[in-house]
Amino acid sequence: MTVLKSIWAHAQGRYALIVLSAWVLIAFVSLLWTPHSLWATDGYHVWAAPSADHWLGTDGTGADVFSWLMAGSRTNLLIVVLTIGVSAVIGLLLIAAMVSSAAMLSGVTVVAVDALISIPTVLIALILAVPMDASIAVIVIACGLGYGLNLARVARPQALLAARSDYAEAARAAGVSPLRVLVSHIVPNALPTMSVQLSLSAGTAVLAESGLTYLGIGVPSGVPSWGHSLATSVKFINVYPLTVLWPGLIVTCVVVALNLFGDALREAADPVANPLLRQAQVRQAQPMEAAVVQPQSEQVVSQPPQPKQVRP
Amino acid sequence: MSVDIQGLSIAIGGVPIVSDVNLHIGDRSRVGLIGASGSGKSMIARAMMGLLPPTATCSGSIRYEGEEIIGMGERGLADLRGRYVSMVFQNPGSALNPVLTVMQQVMLPLTLHFELSQAQRKARAIAMLAKVGLDASVGSRFPHQLSGGQQQRVGIATALVGAPKLILADEPTTALDSITQRQIVRLLVSLVDEAGASMLFITHDFSVLAHATDDCYVLDAGRIIESGSTRALLDQPRTPQARQLVHAARELTLHTAPDEATASSHKKERR
Repeated sequence: MTVLKSIWAHAQGRYALIVLSAWVLIAFVSLLWTPHSLWATDGYHVWAAPSADHWLGTDGTGADVFSWLMAGSRTNLLIVVLTIGVSAVIGLLLIAAMVSSAAMLSGVTVVAVDALISIPTVLIALILAVPMDASIAVIVIACGLGYGLNLARVARPQALLAARSDYAEAARAAGVSPLRVLVSHIVPNALPTMSVQLSLSAGTAVLAESGLTYLGIGVPSGVPSWGHSLATSVKFINVYPLTVLWPGLIVTCVVVALNLFGDALREAADPVANPLLRQAQVRQAQPMEAAVVQPQSEQVVSQPPQPKQVRP
Repeated sequence: MSVDIQGLSIAIGGVPIVSDVNLHIGDRSRVGLIGASGSGKSMIARAMMGLLPPTATCSGSIRYEGEEIIGMGERGLADLRGRYVSMVFQNPGSALNPVLTVMQQVMLPLTLHFELSQAQRKARAIAMLAKVGLDASVGSRFPHQLSGGQQQRVGIATALVGAPKLILADEPTTALDSITQRQIVRLLVSLVDEAGASMLFITHDFSVLAHATDDCYVLDAGRIIESGSTRALLDQPRTPQARQLVHAARELTLHTAPDEATASSHKKERR
């Protein structure tokens, strides 16, 4: 909650929150309601200008542009969420291998990531499209892989710094297992870098959807998406520029929002950078302090601790 | 807990760091390990925690009450660390995780080694913070909000909260100013004695060592060159390296070194 408040406190963060929540809201509304049916085509009113009936006009088949963009928002949301999920998992696994104490494993991973990162995402998508045809999975796998590699590459120094830090060793010295050191001590310290990279990736995923759909290997025809709306009208940009403008505008607004959101999130989620977060921790601690004064807590402390495993 | 180290040798990438070290820490005793930078002090401490870097090779024996820990599995070591043996680090600022609150860090050994409810853990951690002289409100702060002395107090609280039987203090006062140094040494000694634990106090500073330990070992280039009671070593260091360390400590604490004192008295006599 405090994190959201801190993001809201800045103009950029506020813009990002408004655009992103509108996106999510519209995506869910589109499941239940759109102004017109997606398949209600009207041969007499193709490329119509915006009007009271068709708020953003109609496309080349006479279908309502606004309805298609509304329905498209849920496809794009799905793609972004899945892509971020896949790339986060791939990125974290690679980071775990890169900071591992096994020199062989980390060495091979670093070289492999550097080699694989040079393969363009579009090329991976083109290769995947051969067996899989145009589908959302092509975008998710290609982008997830590409961005996962990027994430590992960008977050590696931060993670390495945390892995070799005194506090990671202190955690080991307290008896924390290597896996738990990774999960609860190394990753949280690399998270600010990772959150920025992931939100940039989210923006790029929206762009990639448009690009790959335009190439015919992204969202299959008939499935609404912003890329689909762009791809079907872009040939007529000289004649009916408005039809291209709307999806283009939405993609731009959303990508900007995602990028700004990453910056705002990093500022807000870092206790070192965000004083509000520190105050929240102090406030949470108040009732705990009150508990100390009670005499029974003193009793608890005076009892000898019971270890989980008893050693000879 | 008594510790017996016999013929401990550590090499990293074939380069010997520590060779043939014999060291004994009796039950409930405080022993010092002193040596210049790079003499291998910290490596011995790391070996005692089973935390040597993967490139290091280690031979000899380290026994805790007769139980050998060299070659012990990761599970056994994890069970040992934080519960029976714990460590106070040199640089308190970097030994605390910047994204966890003080309370979370002090509760960590309790979470790992004891079956306690969250409320019990909190109560115990707050009591431990009180013992090291920190207010309970410090628990909700992040390490960067504390001073160096407070950070080291948190480090000591984290090391002692699990009631370990052996504390390895790896230069716990080096990064602190001299007033805070004295406070931290006193605190550490009183808490270790109160808990009935043993302590290995690693330092390069004899002036600190005199307050903290009864016996000590002098390490030079990975070998123990001198050992005995700390008092005797301070008064009459036998080896030149130990003499250097003692003189350095005297000069820095504004005492005159014995040689200088006699030299100045000679001058006076001549006048």
